Amino acid sequence: MNGWTVTATAALAGGGAAVVWGVATGPLRRRVIAQNLSTTLFCSALLLLAQGYGRPSYVDIALVLALLGPVGTLVFARLLAEDLDEDPPRARALTWRAVGFGAAVVLAACVATGPGRAMAKLLVTGALLIGGTLVASRALAHGMPKGEDRHG
Amino acid sequence: MADAVIVVALLLVAATATAAVAVRDPVSQALVLAVLGVALALLFTVLQAPDVALSQLAVGSALTPLLLLLSVRKVRRQRKGRTE
Amino acid sequence: MTRRTTLIRAVSEVLAWWAALAVLWLVFITTVDALELVVGAGVALVGAVAARAARRAVDAE
Repeated sequence: MNGWTVTATAALAGGGAAVVWGVATGPLRRRVIAQNLSTTLFCSALLLLAQGYGRPSYVDIALVLALLGPVGTLVFARLLAEDLDEDPPRARALTWRAVGFGAAVVLAACVATGPGRAMAKLLVTGALLIGGTLVASRALAHGMPKGEDRHG
Repeated sequence: MADAVIVVALLLVAATATAAVAVRDPVSQALVLAVLGVALALLFTVLQAPDVALSQLAVGSALTPLLLLLSVRKVRRQRKGRTE
Repeated sequence: MTRRTTLIRAVSEVLAWWAALAVLWLVFITTVDALELVVGAGVALVGAVAARAARRAVDAE
């Protein structure tokens, strides 16, 4: 048990409870936001755990999640577009807070790793995570580019 | 004390799985299932099984919700077509 | 546009994709050795051709 795992545990206990509560109750727009931010939270926690366990290969899991999580949210944004059009989900402050946490985690991990290929991998993961979360929340708030007539 | 993170991950999985059963609307259920998939991947990682976590992520985070939502969409369309 | 410029454009696009994907591979692997480099270069080439095909398919819509 070190600082990394303690931080991961605290973030998972606090943020995880909020995510489960948000996704299980309330209107649809709150649920999709909770699903989107769950990616950011769990990915940051996985990065912290990879550092805490001293196993750089665990970063792979965070990398895959940073890639697939936003894809999942985009699936929801695309297929639920009709339901979300009426009151679009917006949570700018919450999204930026989650993204800020993710950026802080990536930065701390980079500082701990030191320059090298491992740090480049962390930076790629962080860029995918932050970019993916922002793109997904934007797609939720403003709708996907309309492709209804093309794809049916 | 070192098991605290395992306990938290287990509790998260239990809470999300209960929510997935308790929620009745299929669309909301797909959302809860997406979170459950990621929570399970986290549990596997915490239990030091990263390869299992990777395959769980690949299936649980995007593929399961996609399948569910596509079937919901198809059922809705059929119903709409029947009433018209 | 003549055939020659089309060919040059296609090759340079695939090359650009290949370079980006090969760098990505180089960053993600744990140990750099000859086998990894060969496999990485091959996979990056496959990915580059696929990426160009995907880009063209998106543009054609």
